[in-house]
Amino acid sequence: MTATIPTTPKSIDTKAIVTIDNFKMDFGGKTVIEDLSFEVRRGEVFGFLGSNGSGKTTTIRSLLGIYQPTGGTLLIDGKPFDVASGTKLGYLPEERGLYKNESVIDVMIYFGQLKGLSKSEAQKRSHAYLERVKLTDKAKVKLGKLSGGQQQKIQLGITIMNDPELLILDEPTKGFDPVNRRLLMDIIEEHQNAGATVIFVTHQMEEVERLCDRIILLKDGKAHAYGTIADVKKEHGGMSLDDIFISVYGDENVETAEANKETK
Amino acid sequence: MHNLGTVFQFEVIRSLKKKSFWISALSFPVIIAVVFAVIFFSNKSSDQVAENAKNEKFTIAITDTSNVIPESISGQYKAERVSEDQKQATIDKVSNGTLDAYFYYPKDLSKEKVEVYGEDVGLFNNGKYEAVAKLLLQQSVATNVDPQTTAILQDTVGFNAATYKDGRQFDGIKELIAPGIFLIMFYFLIAMFGNQMLTSTTEEKENRVIEMVLTTIQARVLIIGKIISLLVLAAIQALIVLVPILIIYLLFREQLQLPSFDLTSIPLDATRIAIGAVFFVLSFLLFTGLLVGIGAASPTAKEAGGFFGIAMIFIFGPLYAVTLFFSQPDSPIVRFLTFFPLTAPIPLMLRNAIGNLSTIDVILGIAILAVSAIIALSVAIRMFRYGALEYSKRLSLSTIFAKKSS
Repeated sequence: MTATIPTTPKSIDTKAIVTIDNFKMDFGGKTVIEDLSFEVRRGEVFGFLGSNGSGKTTTIRSLLGIYQPTGGTLLIDGKPFDVASGTKLGYLPEERGLYKNESVIDVMIYFGQLKGLSKSEAQKRSHAYLERVKLTDKAKVKLGKLSGGQQQKIQLGITIMNDPELLILDEPTKGFDPVNRRLLMDIIEEHQNAGATVIFVTHQMEEVERLCDRIILLKDGKAHAYGTIADVKKEHGGMSLDDIFISVYGDENVETAEANKETK
Repeated sequence: MHNLGTVFQFEVIRSLKKKSFWISALSFPVIIAVVFAVIFFSNKSSDQVAENAKNEKFTIAITDTSNVIPESISGQYKAERVSEDQKQATIDKVSNGTLDAYFYYPKDLSKEKVEVYGEDVGLFNNGKYEAVAKLLLQQSVATNVDPQTTAILQDTVGFNAATYKDGRQFDGIKELIAPGIFLIMFYFLIAMFGNQMLTSTTEEKENRVIEMVLTTIQARVLIIGKIISLLVLAAIQALIVLVPILIIYLLFREQLQLPSFDLTSIPLDATRIAIGAVFFVLSFLLFTGLLVGIGAASPTAKEAGGFFGIAMIFIFGPLYAVTLFFSQPDSPIVRFLTFFPLTAPIPLMLRNAIGNLSTIDVILGIAILAVSAIIALSVAIRMFRYGALEYSKRLSLSTIFAKKSS
C-alpha cells in the first residue's frame, strides 16, 4: 500500500516549518532514499516512523545540513538549515554523547550559550532543569560519572534549553526506563502546548498514538504512508498502528513491534 | 564568527582545569630549576674549594724542578720544599698519611704534567689539591708578568668585531636572534601542543557529541575557536616556563656564572622580523590544519596518535640538514626542503633568520605556505564535518571529497 503524496508541493505552505521536496540520497552508489516529499506543519507533533535502516536518521541529518543530499530540497522556515540562520532548534540525535570529562553544569551552560542564551540565563535554566529531573546534586559531577539514564536526561535538558521552535527527537526514548519515558512525554507535551513543532522519530506506537498529530511511515527510503493517524489507519482498513507497522515491515521489525506491545 | 568567544572560553578553561596541563607546564621549569640548582651548588663548591685552599690547614710538600715557584709564594702556603731525590720518600709519606699533599713540578711545564699526590678526602674535596697546585703556579707567574701578557695568556682579552653585508654592518649571530625567535616559538608550539592539536577534535567524535555540536555551531567556528584557545594556552605555558627562568637569571646571574646579555646590542631588522612573523603564522596554520585533519579523519585519539610521528618527521626532519642551510643555501636539497609545503616552515624561518633568503624566495615561500595553509584548514574543516559521523572507521580522502560541499 502506498500513500498518495504529492511529489512536489504545489506551494510552500505558510504553516509548514519543514518542507522536504523530492529528497534523494545515495550512499556509495546505492540509493537509500528516493523521491521523498513531505511537510511538517508549524505547531504539530509529527511522527517519523520506519524500520531500522529505512532512512529516518538520514533524512533528519540531511535536513540539518549534517549530510549533503544527493538531490531535492530540504527546508526549515523556507530555507536550508544553517546554525546561524536564527531558527531555534532543539535536536536530540540518535547517536548521543556529551563531554564526559566536564561537569554537568559546565556543559549545560556551554551549550546554552552556544544556543544564544546569556551565561546567567543558561546557568539559571540549567539549575531549574536539574532540579526538575532531580539531578541538582550532580551539577558539579563529571558527565562520565553519571549513569546512562542520567546522561540522557542531561542531553534532553540541553536539547530543550533554548525553548526551541522546532524540536527534533531521534528515538528519544531509546534506553529510557518508564519513569524517564514519562518525563520525556511530559516535556514534549509542554513544548507542544507552548507552540513548538516536534518531529518525533520512534518505534513506540503507543507514544505515537499519544502524542502525534500526523505521521509518515518510511519503507526502503520511500514514503509508505503519510497523514493524520486516523487517515493512515483508515487507509489500512482500521488496523492499529502496531498491526500496520507489522504489516508494512513484516519480519524485519517483529522485535520492535513485540517490544511495543510489551510496553503497553 | 558567532559563538567564537564561547568556544574559546570553554576550551581554555577546561584545559586549565586539567591536571595534565599543569603537570606538563610545570615540569619544564622544575627541571630547569633543578639544573640551575645543581650548577649553582657545583659552582659554589668549586669556588669554595679554591677559596678555602689557602686558608685550609693541610700539610704540603713541593719539588720545583721548573724553578717557577719562588720561596715567597710557597711560603704563603707553608709548603715544605723537598729535593728531587726525595720524591719517592715524600710520596710514601702521603701514602702512609703523615703528609696531606705533595706536588711535583717538572722541569718543562709546557711538555710535562705536574704530579699531584694527596690523601683521599672524598670525591668532591680531592679537587682541592690540584686547585692549590695550580694556584701556586698562577701566583708565581703573575709576579713576573705584566697584566697585558697575563690577559693574553689567560685568553681574557675582549674583541669587538664588525662585519659588513650589503653595505651595512652585519653581525651574523646577533642578527639571527630576533627573527630566529619565531623558529623557537614554532618549535615550542608544535612540540608542546602538536599532540593536543591532533586530538582536539577527536573528543567530539569519541564522545558522540558531534551531531549536537554541528547543529549548534558551525564547524569552522568550532575549529577556529579551538585553534585560538591552543595559541593562548601555549602563551600561558610559555609564560610559566619563561618567567621563572627570567627571575632566576635576574636574581642569581652572578652566582650561576651566567653570561651577561646586553639586549640593546641585538639588531632589530624590521623586515626580517616581519617576514619571520608571517612565516610563523602561516606555518602554524598549515600544521594545525594538517594535525586537526588527521585527528578528524581518525576514529580515536589513539589511532590519530599513530600519524603524529609522520607529521613530526616532516616538520622537524629539515633540522638534520641544518648545516646545509648555512653553508649551501642554493643546493637542490635545501631548495627542495625550503619550498616543499610540509617541510618548508623550519627552512624558511631558519634561512630568514640567517639572512640568506632572496626576495623572490620570500615571496615564493609565503605563497606556498599561504596556499598550503588554506588547503589544509579547508580540508580539516571538511574532514571534521563529514568525518565526524564516521564514528568507528577511519575516513578516506575519497569519502571526504565524494560528498558535496555545502
